[in-house]
Amino acid sequence: MRTAKTLRAGGWAVGVVGFGLAFAACATPPKPNELEAFEKIKQSANYQAAQRRSPDLVAEAERLFSKSQEEWRDNDLEDSRRDALMGQIKLKTALALVEYDQSKARADKAGQELRTVEDEYSRVNKDLTATQEQIALLQRLKDTSSQAAVQQEKMQRELASRDALGKARDKVAAAEIALKNAEQVKAAEYAKVEFLSAQDSLARAQAQLKAGDYAMAGQTADAAADQANRATQAAKPTYESSESSKSSQARNEALARDLSGIPGVQVRLDRRGDVQRAAVPLRGLFTRKSTVMTPGNDTVIDQLAAVMKKYPTYNVLVVGYSDNRGRRDQLLALSQARATAVYSALVSRGVEAKRMVVSGNGAEEPVSDNKTAGGRALNNRVEVVFLYQ
Amino acid sequence: MKPSRVVSYGVVALLLLCGGQALANQEADDLKRQIESQRAAVSDLERLDDRHMVTDDVTLLRSWLDEAWSQYSKEEYKRVREVVDRCIAQAELIRQRITAGKMTAYANDRDAQVRSTREKIERTRKSLLDAQSTKKALEMTNK
Repeated sequence: MRTAKTLRAGGWAVGVVGFGLAFAACATPPKPNELEAFEKIKQSANYQAAQRRSPDLVAEAERLFSKSQEEWRDNDLEDSRRDALMGQIKLKTALALVEYDQSKARADKAGQELRTVEDEYSRVNKDLTATQEQIALLQRLKDTSSQAAVQQEKMQRELASRDALGKARDKVAAAEIALKNAEQVKAAEYAKVEFLSAQDSLARAQAQLKAGDYAMAGQTADAAADQANRATQAAKPTYESSESSKSSQARNEALARDLSGIPGVQVRLDRRGDVQRAAVPLRGLFTRKSTVMTPGNDTVIDQLAAVMKKYPTYNVLVVGYSDNRGRRDQLLALSQARATAVYSALVSRGVEAKRMVVSGNGAEEPVSDNKTAGGRALNNRVEVVFLYQ
Repeated sequence: MKPSRVVSYGVVALLLLCGGQALANQEADDLKRQIESQRAAVSDLERLDDRHMVTDDVTLLRSWLDEAWSQYSKEEYKRVREVVDRCIAQAELIRQRITAGKMTAYANDRDAQVRSTREKIERTRKSLLDAQSTKKALEMTNK
């Protein structure tokens, strides 16, 4: 009984398994990967284009696809895979051709576009190059102008500097001359303060000139020249007076020497007030009451005239004197006439008439006693008096 | 049946057998030659694929050629024929892909050149504008 039951149960189990196996054998098998991949490829966006580009390839691929599907459904998986692979390859080849065409079209278009943009670039670049060349020229022009301006300015500065140097040198030279002039009038002695100031200023001006400070050198030189001129002005009167005095004294001494050199003449030097006098008494020119010079006195008159001409700046008094024998008016007239005779003799020898003043003093200013004949002889005289300061 | 007829049939059968064998040998040689030819072609394809765009496809082709050779060793000529046909198609696919890839690369290169040139134009235009401003300023300065 139990054995029968067990056999019945086993029979059921075998039946169920058998049915399951039979069902499984009749069911569609899983789709091969190759077929699934093929389906995906078919969904490519370029599928239509591939159909147009390579209809034979796509048709062949379609045929293989259909065949592969059938084989799959018929559970002929090996053949299904094989045909799916072959179909894939065909379709992929068609798609690659489409890709090639598309890329070529893109490349052609890009090539055209490239030519266009290269032309455009060439134009723009040409414009840029031209503009840059113009800029370079303008820059060069600017640089040249700047350099020229700088050069011009430099030259102007140099010219101005030279001009200033020349002026400063002239002024320094003028100051030096002014200082020399001052030295000549012994300003160092007679206008010490001004002279030293001028000297100091000149030294400064020379230093400034050397240092290239021409403007200051000019100003300082001007100041030095002014100071030197002031020193000259201040020293000049004293100097001239001194020089004049020295000169006059020397001349006077020379005059006295020359006058003393005339034979038979004794020179008398005296001073009346500010006036120095060198009196040359001439005696024995006239006899008794005569107003005509006796012959033989020409040598004295000649030599006297020569001395007078040698010293033309001296004014001369020609003064006649007599002894006291006679009336006063007669004596005055006599002495006047004798002085005039000497005057005339001197004029006749070339002495300037206007230098001489003629007068007759009669018996005044006797130089000896009129009581004796010798004394009277000494008083009868014509004095030629040289006047000076 | 006459003996002569029996002999005739025998001869015919023998001839058919020999002919079939000869044809089978000829196909085997042909397949072998094709496999070798395809192997040689793979190297050429690899050289062509200087951008390594179809490396997987080439690997697949090599594996199929190995499979073909394996089948050939087993004298499964029908199977070899199928695989060889697939290899031929795959080689063609590879060639087309390489060609398309090169053309794509060329197009990309052209596109890049166009973009680059456009950028150059933009930069040059900007430089031109700057240069024109500079030029104007210099002209004003030099006046």
